[in-house]
Amino acid sequence: MTEHTVASSYKIPVGPLHVALEEPMYFRVSVKGETIENVELNAGHVHRGVEYLATKRTLLQNMILTERICSLCSNSHPEALAMAAETIGAVEVPERAQYLRVIAGEVKRVASHLFNVGILAHLVGFEALFMHAMQVREVAQDLKEAVYGNRMDLGAHCLGGTRCDMDDEAIAFMRTALDKIEPDVRELEKTYRTNGSILRRTRGIGILTHEDAIACGVVGPVARASDIQYDVRTAAPYHVYDRLPVEVPVLDGCDVWSRAMIRLQEAVNSIEILWVCLDHLPDGPINDGGDPYIPPGQAIARTEAPRGELVYYLKTNDEPEPERLKWRVPSYPNWDALTFMLKEAKVADIAIIVNSIDPCISCTER
Amino acid sequence: MNFLQLFAHNLTKGPFTDPFPFEPAPTAKRFRGKIEFDPETCEGCRKCEKVCPAGAIRFTKTANGLEFDCWHDSCVFCGNCEFHCPTNAIHQTQDWHLAHVQQDKFSMVEHGVIPSHECPSCGKPALYTAAPANKIKGFSEAEVAEFRSLCPKCRGKYLRERKSRS
Repeated sequence: MTEHTVASSYKIPVGPLHVALEEPMYFRVSVKGETIENVELNAGHVHRGVEYLATKRTLLQNMILTERICSLCSNSHPEALAMAAETIGAVEVPERAQYLRVIAGEVKRVASHLFNVGILAHLVGFEALFMHAMQVREVAQDLKEAVYGNRMDLGAHCLGGTRCDMDDEAIAFMRTALDKIEPDVRELEKTYRTNGSILRRTRGIGILTHEDAIACGVVGPVARASDIQYDVRTAAPYHVYDRLPVEVPVLDGCDVWSRAMIRLQEAVNSIEILWVCLDHLPDGPINDGGDPYIPPGQAIARTEAPRGELVYYLKTNDEPEPERLKWRVPSYPNWDALTFMLKEAKVADIAIIVNSIDPCISCTER
Repeated sequence: MNFLQLFAHNLTKGPFTDPFPFEPAPTAKRFRGKIEFDPETCEGCRKCEKVCPAGAIRFTKTANGLEFDCWHDSCVFCGNCEFHCPTNAIHQTQDWHLAHVQQDKFSMVEHGVIPSHECPSCGKPALYTAAPANKIKGFSEAEVAEFRSLCPKCRGKYLRERKSRS
């Protein structure tokens, strides 16, 4: 009789090209049976050298280049860059432009969150709900196209203000779109809260405890689902957020479901913020030509991107090109927390857990 | 969410996709599509070339004058050129039909020439560029036409003389 030796654990590669992953991530997962023992994260598959490129472009060009680092939080990147440059140049942004910046940011947030929860339904295998969530998101996409002229890269910001003004027609279009999307988002929130298929696959999955969340320094919906009340919009209000009804939903479930619920509640809140902005939009200029003088200096700016806190560091000198431009994207700390979330998880849940941090690999690896 | 209701809704209100290419797809009025250049209103400041992040816009000086080229295969349709243009000589159209065969890839270009001519005052070659809006405030139509035909040096002279006259 021949003896068969069975290894106690196996290593399986997930990625860099994998049917369940939206972007090229690479995990080397050690499994024992169906349970994950250890995860190694490998980065660098979509490194494009954008940081270096940014130092070869003028600030005006970088307003567009940074927008193309990431598609889903494309609005937050030039927003943070503009804020950093405006800090250095002591440029004052007109009030109307500040409201318009909030509007652009919140529209992007609604679309981004709906996309993530839609993909969650897809990974759960609930295709009808996935299609419906994407259909609801389509309203936000059409809204962006009608107001800003593009479905993803809004080009809303310029140095010292915004590029795109909203006339009565655009405001009316936005009001109609919000009227249409608001009940649908509330309905989606209810579905994700009560639907058995969603609950069975997401509750108690991908646990990131409050202590681990603090240790990893996670931000955004991932942090708020682990009972950390932190949102840049309230912690360090920028633009006119101190005058707006920003709610920071917090849950202590620490699981995939809590993260999805936070996103849906935030989407509802973003729509409320949009209503207030449209009602209180002041008149006045929206920019001062978009080409202010930026003296040599350095500054840091923070914004709340859909995925969490986005930090920009800008150092300028006498040249029109910045000496250094660096950004810390929310997916960077959140990604590290995956090692905690994936521990003791089942192989079948990997895709759901990875999706729950809403990873943006293209901006993490820039 | 009642999926039966949703099903009935989608069956009666749908489909939600556009039947393109069998019917024209609806395009937003503010859609940022192909670039259109108007050499008549261009003042030749070349700001669009400087702010273009993709390097799609090039100005070249030739015997004909100042030639403008925007390569649509490099363009990212950000609209920076339109935003920074002081005279609205460049703008984006609603046209997004950019599909083309491989051999046409070098002809997806928006081209325009700012013609070169002789300055009627000094006889030197000059570009027939539009006059900067801030310089011609209060000018009559005939004055604008005359000012426009001059070379940069003679334009300066013209401005000084006009100022001393008034």
